Amino acid sequence: MTSFQSTLGEDAGIAEELAESQRAISIAEFFEKNKHMLGFDSGARGLVTAVKEAVDNALDATEEAGIKPDISVEIRESGDYYTLVVEDNGPGITKPQIPKVFGKLLYGSRFHAREQSRGQQGIGISAAVLYSQLTSGKPAKITSRTKGAETAQYFELIIDTDTNEPEIQVEKELSPGESDLSPTHGTRIEVEMEANMRARQQLHDYVKHTAVVNPHARLVLMEPGLEEPLRYERVDGAGLPAETEEIRPHPHGVELGTLIKMLGRTESYSVSGFLQEEFTRVGAKTADKILDNFRDRHFGREMGWSVSDGEEVDLDAAIVDAVSNKGADATDAFAGRVGDTLRNRQRTTHFELGDIVDTVADDVGDEFDVTFGDTVRENAVEAAWAVLTLERTTDIYGLVDDATSTQKDDATVHGLAERVAEKFGANDSHRETYRQVRDYVDRSADVLVDDDVTFGETARENVTDALWSVMRTVPDDVPKVKDVADDRDVASQLLEGMREADILAPPTNCLSPISAELVEAGLRKEYDADFYAAATRDAEVHGGDPFIVEAGIAYGGELAAEGSVDLLRFANRVPLVYQRGACATTDVVKRIGWRNYGLDQPGGSGMPKGPAVIMVHVASTNVPFTSESKDALANIPAIEDEIELAIREASRELKSYLNKRRSMQKRRKKQDVLGRILPEMADKLAEVTKRERPNIDGALARIMNNVSVDRAVDGDTVTLAVENHSDRTETPDITDIVSAEPTDVPDDATVVDLDGEWFVKWNPSVSAGETAELTYTVASDASFDINVDGVETEKLTVNA
Amino acid sequence: MSTNHNDELAQERLIDLAVEFYDQFAGGDIPHMDIPTRTKSNIVFDEESKVWVYGDRTSTRSANSVRGARKLLKATYAIEFLVNQLEEDRSSTLRELYYLSESWDNEEAQFNDQDESNQLIEDLEIVSKVTREDFHMRPEESGATLMGPLELREQTRRGEREIHCQEDVGEGGYQIPNNPDTIEFLDHDIEFVLCVETGGMRDRLIENGFDEKHGCLVVHLKGQPARATRRITKRLHDELDLPVVVFTDGDPWSYRIYGSVAYGSIKSAHLSEYLATPEAEFVGIQPQDIVDYDLPTDPLSDSDVNALQSELEDPRFMTDYWEEQIELQLDIDKKAEQQALASRGLDFVTDTYLPERLGEMGVL
Repeated sequence: MTSFQSTLGEDAGIAEELAESQRAISIAEFFEKNKHMLGFDSGARGLVTAVKEAVDNALDATEEAGIKPDISVEIRESGDYYTLVVEDNGPGITKPQIPKVFGKLLYGSRFHAREQSRGQQGIGISAAVLYSQLTSGKPAKITSRTKGAETAQYFELIIDTDTNEPEIQVEKELSPGESDLSPTHGTRIEVEMEANMRARQQLHDYVKHTAVVNPHARLVLMEPGLEEPLRYERVDGAGLPAETEEIRPHPHGVELGTLIKMLGRTESYSVSGFLQEEFTRVGAKTADKILDNFRDRHFGREMGWSVSDGEEVDLDAAIVDAVSNKGADATDAFAGRVGDTLRNRQRTTHFELGDIVDTVADDVGDEFDVTFGDTVRENAVEAAWAVLTLERTTDIYGLVDDATSTQKDDATVHGLAERVAEKFGANDSHRETYRQVRDYVDRSADVLVDDDVTFGETARENVTDALWSVMRTVPDDVPKVKDVADDRDVASQLLEGMREADILAPPTNCLSPISAELVEAGLRKEYDADFYAAATRDAEVHGGDPFIVEAGIAYGGELAAEGSVDLLRFANRVPLVYQRGACATTDVVKRIGWRNYGLDQPGGSGMPKGPAVIMVHVASTNVPFTSESKDALANIPAIEDEIELAIREASRELKSYLNKRRSMQKRRKKQDVLGRILPEMADKLAEVTKRERPNIDGALARIMNNVSVDRAVDGDTVTLAVENHSDRTETPDITDIVSAEPTDVPDDATVVDLDGEWFVKWNPSVSAGETAELTYTVASDASFDINVDGVETEKLTVNA
Repeated sequence: MSTNHNDELAQERLIDLAVEFYDQFAGGDIPHMDIPTRTKSNIVFDEESKVWVYGDRTSTRSANSVRGARKLLKATYAIEFLVNQLEEDRSSTLRELYYLSESWDNEEAQFNDQDESNQLIEDLEIVSKVTREDFHMRPEESGATLMGPLELREQTRRGEREIHCQEDVGEGGYQIPNNPDTIEFLDHDIEFVLCVETGGMRDRLIENGFDEKHGCLVVHLKGQPARATRRITKRLHDELDLPVVVFTDGDPWSYRIYGSVAYGSIKSAHLSEYLATPEAEFVGIQPQDIVDYDLPTDPLSDSDVNALQSELEDPRFMTDYWEEQIELQLDIDKKAEQQALASRGLDFVTDTYLPERLGEMGVL
């Protein structure tokens, strides 16, 4: 007990004691302790990550300046440490910016931009600087020379982890002769860190894969294990990626905090103006849609009521009673017209009633030359409203009955309607939000539910939706931007309104896909294979950010036939090297049935096997990674679907290539086997029949000598080729049935139109060993059906 | 029709086949042979001869494909083997042929399994129109037996033997050789031929002296009868002009045994005219007997019912007699074995049942 007492007594002291040691931590300090989050969890990995961050920065900088990147990476052993030097031919960095770019975490130009770029947060390169200073204690050495500048700036700096500010140790201006920077403009960073080369393979993969997706860049890698530098040359004619345009945020892609910040900064006065000004794809119409959604949430909607048709109800009389001193004729005309209008309407809300009374009062006032003042109008509204709301239950009953299943007995429906009506009646503001209506329904249903009566979630939702759908959005003016910005709840109502509205997908000029041709060229450049294919999908949207997926495949040739295929993953042109297993791309590749496309896949799922490289590139203004180290794509269904479609598109070409290859192999095998068996059979026959060995050349020739008809389709150009491998002239009778009208058909072929199908007839005469070709043009989505006569079937191979 | 003549003919036909391939080669054609398709759908009932024969559909074995070429190579090797076997007057079993192929110098010509070699022999049988017995190919199992007042001469490998099938044989009876065409009938006192499905019933008939008493030749079918059993039955009918009756269990499978004796089977439809005895009549057990003699029964199983129903659609059984009996059986939902007759005493079958049934049929 005593100890308990004393503890209690000390409590206040502990809190204060604790308070003394509680203080803000700088971002730099945080990452110092959490290096793994940035990909610096080991010496081996740290080196790869540092290279990656430096190269990504260099590529972004050069491309932005419209310069074709020329980047060299050098790793040197220096005692117990490794020195990393990365140099680019970019535009250079101005003197005051250098310390901030390299010596301050979260400093960058990208974070706020909605545009496809490699770096996003401005963490990467400064994290590398931080890592090197932590492990080696040495400062980062940075040289930069801007285009046209006479001298280069040289800095030696570290990051002050307490303040997340650069601490400059050396600052010099160097003439071109003194500087280590080789190009006339660009940036060079040199860091020294504790590291090892155990991740050599990943390093090489990273540089090679970077070369694949950046065919416009020239890369050089030198590291201690290499005899001479590895050079990755530029693909001839590969230009810089299309310049991307920064886009404003899409209404579907912002979060509440961001929205409030934007509201605070905007110069617009009205919410409508703000929406149209600050967001992409919002014009006047869309803004109106959003504002109505906003009103529904902010003000609520009004329920309308009908004039009951009971005999004791006398609407006109009630209005007449409410009007005094306006003369009998005017009063009757006023009451009659208001009454008629209301009776003609299915439902009238309170604000609509006010409008009607105002309109009629003005008209009647003009006609009878009397004035209906505000008090009279108010009285009239009140009187008419009282009559309208006499039979609320009846109005609600109809809606509830329609919205519930026939299994609900009438007493339940009526009971619910009655209780909901009561709740509407109890609300003097006449307005309810969707949540309030749901609350009415829930409370009413809860009272009714007992052993015999159930009122499930779906039924409640249906009733609420039915009620909500007949309620009217009010015409009130929405709050001004300033008021929205000041009130978190109101801002949240606006955000919900934005999310609910149907809005066009964001534009895609903020993205820069590599393009199918360059993907293929990149693969061709770095992989020696027999077959290449690539596909680029159209842009799609996820969470307000547009994205594009591209896929490429290389097959055969020098690629290793054993083991799983290589999967190259890219996000915004950056290779993803680590955490392959955690990546959505890997998941998608594993769940595709590769046997359909001609690749081995033990068990029918998982990584396919064989001599192939599969490449996937996801470009987006905001690539969803699983962590800050940007190693793996998160499993976003919309993106996974596109990845799958892109891979399948590229794989279809692989399939037809492999099929053709297999049929050629089969044919060769058949020729081998028959070439062996038939002579043996002939020998045996000669033995049995006691005759000379028969001459089997004729039969062999028939089987072996092959006339092949192949089709090649390139865009809208179709080429049919007849190869004659036999020893005599062949004149095949070819009919190509095409689903669209072919054009540019040469004179030696004829075209007949038969009910929307075009018969291209061609009778080439092909001498032994020769090839004949027919080329014509047709819509690229046309389908073909070929028929070849005039060649013995044994000799004919049709691949068209 | 001497045996030697048959051997020569078989040899000649086989060599003709080889010559045909040879000529195809020599003529610059791709060697091939056409064979009737041996499936259920290509079996037709020949109304005239009352037996099942192959229809018009054929399949081609052509050297144009790897599979086809291998088949023809194997056929060529098999032809050589058979020609030599006939030359040396040896014989072998189907299984021996399969193992023997292992010794062939060419691996491509060896058989992968016995089904393949059996099928090839059937192919050659059909194409050459010579039976496999004439190739001197035997099945593994020995033939069934017969017992009765018949004297015959058999050409055995160890010389000619004259045998009386009651006096010169033991209780087991005379064993039918694989090629019954090596038998010559000398003399007989047979009134009719009685083919019996089960061994138990055959032994009962012999023990009770049914063969002696009624001048009956008892042929033991041993379930589905072998080719040799069916062939000798056909010869007894054709050459000695004897009535043939079939005595089996009273279930759908036994009716098919009767059917294969009388009309031929699907696998050997190319030999139906040589093996089937369309005049053979069915003694029982008939479904009617189950009712008339109140025999102990088993209920029909699902497969029995299916078999009976498919027999109703089988042209072999599309007679008033069979329709009536099968429908009756479906109706009473019962089947009975031959031995069920023992419920009336061991002598009931020989003293009462068979004399009554055969009397009805006009055989006795």
